[in-house]
Amino acid sequence: MTEVVVPIGPQHPALKEPVNFKVVADGETIVRLELDVSYNHRGIEKAAEQRDFVRVVPLLERVCGICSHSHTTVFVKGIEEAMKLQVPPRAQFIRTIVAELERMHSHFLWLGVAAHEVGFNTLFMWTWRDREAVQDMLEEMTGNRVNYGTNEVGGVRRDLSPDEIQAALKRLPRLEERIAKYAEMVSKEQTMLLRFKGVGKLSKEQILKLGAVGPTARASGVDYDIRRDDPYLAYADVPWKVITDTHGDVYGRTLVRIGELQQSLQIVRFCLEHIPAGPIRTNPPRAAPRTEILSRYEAPRGELVHFIRTNNTDRVERLDIRTPTLANWTSVAVSLVNQNLADIPVVVAAIDPCLSCTSRITVVNERGRRIGEMTWDELSEHGRAFYRARGRR
Amino acid sequence: MSVLKEMFENLAKKPATTLYPKEKVPIPPAFRGRIAIRDEKCIGCSKCAVVCPTQCITMVASEREVEVKGRKITRKKKPEVELFMCIRCGLCEEYCPTDPKAIYLSNEFSGAGPDKSVVVK
Ligand code: SF4
Ligand code: SF4
Repeated sequence: MTEVVVPIGPQHPALKEPVNFKVVADGETIVRLELDVSYNHRGIEKAAEQRDFVRVVPLLERVCGICSHSHTTVFVKGIEEAMKLQVPPRAQFIRTIVAELERMHSHFLWLGVAAHEVGFNTLFMWTWRDREAVQDMLEEMTGNRVNYGTNEVGGVRRDLSPDEIQAALKRLPRLEERIAKYAEMVSKEQTMLLRFKGVGKLSKEQILKLGAVGPTARASGVDYDIRRDDPYLAYADVPWKVITDTHGDVYGRTLVRIGELQQSLQIVRFCLEHIPAGPIRTNPPRAAPRTEILSRYEAPRGELVHFIRTNNTDRVERLDIRTPTLANWTSVAVSLVNQNLADIPVVVAAIDPCLSCTSRITVVNERGRRIGEMTWDELSEHGRAFYRARGRR
Repeated sequence: MSVLKEMFENLAKKPATTLYPKEKVPIPPAFRGRIAIRDEKCIGCSKCAVVCPTQCITMVASEREVEVKGRKITRKKKPEVELFMCIRCGLCEEYCPTDPKAIYLSNEFSGAGPDKSVVVK
């Protein structure tokens, strides 16, 4: 086998998780994928050790632009566990509402991106328009569209007024209707069926072996969700169910995400309607006792883990962050083998990573030993043209 | 076909976008916008500068008579914020002891400009 190692170009330090990959291809068929994920080091874990528990939260909120609430929740949850704090139920409900709205905006965004990668830009525009309603709800409740600034150790920083709860409840029926429309569309619309079905297939055994998480795993029949299996926040008190599917391909991942949209909406509605009265925070002690905590959280992309070591001071001694995208990358590499070059965009998009970071791909043509580079846009365009040409034949 | 039906429905609707800056977008009351300072309220306690996670608040010398719980005192310092280092987290507002808050996040949202060294005084 020809092995050509090519160092790949530009850094994109503005975005999280820059992932680089080299594709070894035989004509149109992918032989192998090489991943390099340790590309951009932002030093957030080290920076977190320098800040006390109040000032570290805004920093962790910025680990990820989309899952900002996930990172702060998993962290404060860990610190609260270390301090043995009882967080008031009202705070837990508010955290749950924001967490599920975050999941909704993330899944809407994903559906749009996946549609865009297969050239179905109309759907992209629709989902992103509907996502605005979720963003507006978050803005009304927390004061910002991203980086909600909701969490602090011991509770939440901002209460929900009855007016805000009513306004949020009023927005839900329209969203529900839209989600139902997308559910129908995905199972009927030819564009998506043709490009999603059978693409990037992974069996349950493969998923378990590769350690994939979140919707990627659940689409292959792995019935696993931290919200149910290791309940936190208010999930134990809310009626909802884990969505799984057996297709195992991009189509399955789409069905799971749309099912989760429906579930998230129900969770948000239940929490808004049943939010308990009472305080929204307890006063935490200044320092956390010496201990080690592994805090887990079901982020929109899958299981997010923070390992926290505290040492009787007001800051962490060590913080280790394992994001779901990292757990899912190897599954991409495996599921792309023997697929078409044209399927890369949609298979990569199916785990919902940060695409901007992977904006450049090196294609190594095995037979001709030609090495060329394609930008993400070129690759997307190649995918569309390939299937357009094939459709005509 | 559900897609075609959706397309025709959309044709009959108004555009979903707002013609900014001609039309203004609605700002919710809770919105965390540009940082602002009420100089006459500040007692110079430096709490905001200590808690700020980006350390964008500098305490500068500024003597002024202010009222604290009915008593008049002379404060020695006041905060100045480097606007584009501020991440609008609102921690300074939360920790400021005065009422109304001497430092707070206003509803002003359009913060872009050519000068990156803007200081809010
Ligand atoms: S809002 Fe946050 S970043 Fe901005 S000045 Fe206040 S504490 Fe500092
Ligand atoms: S703005 Fe508030 S917190 Fe900051 S020095 Fe003045 S009184 Fe203290």
